[in-house]
Amino acid sequence: MNNLKLKQLFAAARRETPPVPATDFAAAVLRAARRETPEEMPAPAGILEQLNGWFPRLALASLMLIVLCVAADNLLTAASPADSGDMAAQFSSQYFAGPETEDL
Amino acid sequence: MSDDVELVQRIRAGAADDYAELVRRHQTRVFSILYRYERDLQRVEDLAQETFIKAWRALAQFDGRAPFEHWISRIAVRTALDHLRREKKHRKNDVAIEDLGEDALDWLHSDADKSALDAQGAAEILQLALRQLPPLDRAVIIQQELEGRSFKEIAATLETSVIAVRVRAVRARARLKRALENIGAGK
Repeated sequence: MNNLKLKQLFAAARRETPPVPATDFAAAVLRAARRETPEEMPAPAGILEQLNGWFPRLALASLMLIVLCVAADNLLTAASPADSGDMAAQFSSQYFAGPETEDL
Repeated sequence: MSDDVELVQRIRAGAADDYAELVRRHQTRVFSILYRYERDLQRVEDLAQETFIKAWRALAQFDGRAPFEHWISRIAVRTALDHLRREKKHRKNDVAIEDLGEDALDWLHSDADKSALDAQGAAEILQLALRQLPPLDRAVIIQQELEGRSFKEIAATLETSVIAVRVRAVRARARLKRALENIGAGK
């Protein structure tokens, strides 16, 4: 079977006329649909279903944000270790040691 | 006449009778898709009904971003695939070379440029050859060659990657050629 013959076969098959649905087909579908239980009736998606649909994307975005924050923190710490140490010392003396000193 | 999105909204709001109108608008397309996978008219009608019932159940998931026709076409292809898989388990190849018409047999044994083939004969030959392929190969060949869909569209319908569809298309085409050669050789 060469390619030309295969092309001919596809081209001819594409021209085939599909069967025509019976005149009452739509009504039959509707009757069958009506037999569905109320739980199976189409209903708008609830908030939980929508959140569930968003879950993988939300989880990935949160993970990326956490990684970004950790990386930024590490970079800043590495860039100025003395400054951050000083700031921490200043912070602790101001808010933890400060009032006690005043009381004394 | 309202468009499909409006009609779907009305149905979801409780106007269930309007679903018949939606079915009437798309039934020809659905029958046309299913007839590529199944030749028995009664089964085609059953599968079409199954397609529209599945769509009814999933109507809440139709968001209107793509046309309703695309959405229902995908459901039809998946219904056809499920049918082929069930059929593979329960039915052996029940179409034989003897079922082919005389014109189709003549064409199979002739040179491509010397003989014309009518649509009916071509569809019969293809159906016979496609029955020897796995369901997914059949779905790719039918969508690519008979419905003119792009690899991207086929990938979306079959819920797989474009690369996977490309690979399968090459393999399916080779298998189809072999199947057609076997039919031509009377195997």
